[in-house]
Amino acid sequence: MKKIKDYLPWIVYFVFFLGIIVVDPGTHYIHLVARVIIFSLYAVAFNLLYGTTGLVSFGHALFYGIGAYVTGMLVKATSPELFLLYILLGAAGAAFVSFFIGLLTLRLTGIYFTMLTLAFAQLVWGLTFKLYHFTGGDDGIQAIAKPAILSGGVTKYYLFSFIVVTICIYILWRIRRSPFGTVLNSIRQNPQRITFLGLNVYKNQLKAFVISAFFAGVAGGLYAGLDGSIHPDMLHWPTSGNAILMATIGGMGTFFGPIVGAGIFTGLEEIVGKYTEYWSFYIGLVVLIVVLLFPNGVLGIKRFSGNKNNEEKETEVVCNSGN
Amino acid sequence: MSVILEIKNLDKHFGGIHVTNHVNIGFKKGEMSAIIGPNGAGKTTFFNLITGFIPSDDGTVVYEGQDITRARPENIVKLGMVRAFQVASVFLEETVYDNIYLASLAHFRKNAKIFINRMAFQDASEHTEFILNKIGLFHCKDLKASELSHGDMKVLDIAIALTLQPKILLLDEPTAGMAPDERIKMMSLLKELHEFFKLTTIFIEHDMDMVFGIAEIIRVLVQGQLIAEGPPDYIRQHETVIEAYLGKEVL
Repeated sequence: MKKIKDYLPWIVYFVFFLGIIVVDPGTHYIHLVARVIIFSLYAVAFNLLYGTTGLVSFGHALFYGIGAYVTGMLVKATSPELFLLYILLGAAGAAFVSFFIGLLTLRLTGIYFTMLTLAFAQLVWGLTFKLYHFTGGDDGIQAIAKPAILSGGVTKYYLFSFIVVTICIYILWRIRRSPFGTVLNSIRQNPQRITFLGLNVYKNQLKAFVISAFFAGVAGGLYAGLDGSIHPDMLHWPTSGNAILMATIGGMGTFFGPIVGAGIFTGLEEIVGKYTEYWSFYIGLVVLIVVLLFPNGVLGIKRFSGNKNNEEKETEVVCNSGN
Repeated sequence: MSVILEIKNLDKHFGGIHVTNHVNIGFKKGEMSAIIGPNGAGKTTFFNLITGFIPSDDGTVVYEGQDITRARPENIVKLGMVRAFQVASVFLEETVYDNIYLASLAHFRKNAKIFINRMAFQDASEHTEFILNKIGLFHCKDLKASELSHGDMKVLDIAIALTLQPKILLLDEPTAGMAPDERIKMMSLLKELHEFFKLTTIFIEHDMDMVFGIAEIIRVLVQGQLIAEGPPDYIRQHETVIEAYLGKEVL
């Protein structure tokens, strides 16, 4: 029974993301779902820090952006045939940079950590304008070609993204369920106790930071190929904020929540964006409703009501320890 | 009995306050000892200093012949000196079982495994059940830590410490905030665990029944200074201690 419950989100995941190909609602919608799946990876990677370890990074756009820019620039400089390798190199680049940023920022806690991650990301965002020769300044990089087997119709690239994202999310899922994932989740609850279990809080946080940045980088690289263009906005702070919003809407306390959040976020942007350019206002409204009514996010609703029942029953149970 | 933990000339200031004033103590192996003293005497600070949680200004801490004065707190834990806290320090969202299981993973150094399902470690699960049975929490293993009573939460905190199979167990007011019957239970539990695990136990306590009931050696801290140490009978009649802390009517 428990096994089935564990794998149920995976079943829903496969049914939805593969079903969309079967239904084939047309290029526009496949492109939209491709964005959802890429953002899903970005949000799930981010949530390893946010919901699991309890670290609010406001600079994840940096790692997403590094992934995109490294991939884009390598394709431009050489040929698109090694696209997958370039995505991995972009992710490795993001991980490399995150190691040094983590080394510095993780010395701080709470809002100071958050602000410093923001500062680093904004710094690099500013640099992309100055380093015009490499980054194309505010034009970004256009016409990033895809390898021959992935070009021609968005469905092929969607399938490619689906496979890459699924492998990455599976790896993150395994990490979350491992002893290391348990340590991270416990750091969020009580870092002092972790220290007095003989474990180094800082080192574990740094590992989580680098892993999170790596997979955010993969998402960025995939996005570079989807639109064939990248621009400094990918490194700008709203991209960092989007990760927080997606994870919060979907449920930061759950593993699959951020995927739902990515879907809701992208869906709203699409639907509301048709009627008004002020779509971000409606996103704000949704976030407000979620935070006020379902503080554990959409996927956290069930758990939320479950807790409520417990509170009604009995708040304190005496189990007469020690005999 | 040999000395397992030796504190030499330990000193600490917080601003202008001298919280630990040139303290010298030799803790003997296998000893059950108490540290008493009025509020603000520097008892918890003393624990924080010897566990590496805050750095000392001066002095050395020698554990089993090894200088650990500047060692990181997690490394001191790995050497075998483990503490429980005045306010129970547990993982509130997890079940009692998972609290102990995580400590077991740390004990068997499985905490860094990154791709294996966390529940797949048989040594850790066997150890968890052993600890839960030993400490009397087995029948409430599936409760969330946040659902426990205050007393049970303190017991869980001590259980987490014991899971690491320490040589020295430091307890900061194990009976703080407990009802009288819970205190008596805690007292006999600690005595039993001390003997079973062959621990060196050092506890801070305000409950004098417990202090004089189970401690073999009592040390008295007042304003950061060690003013007396000795067996219960000696401390009971120590004039400076009576004046500074115990008061005449207590005994």
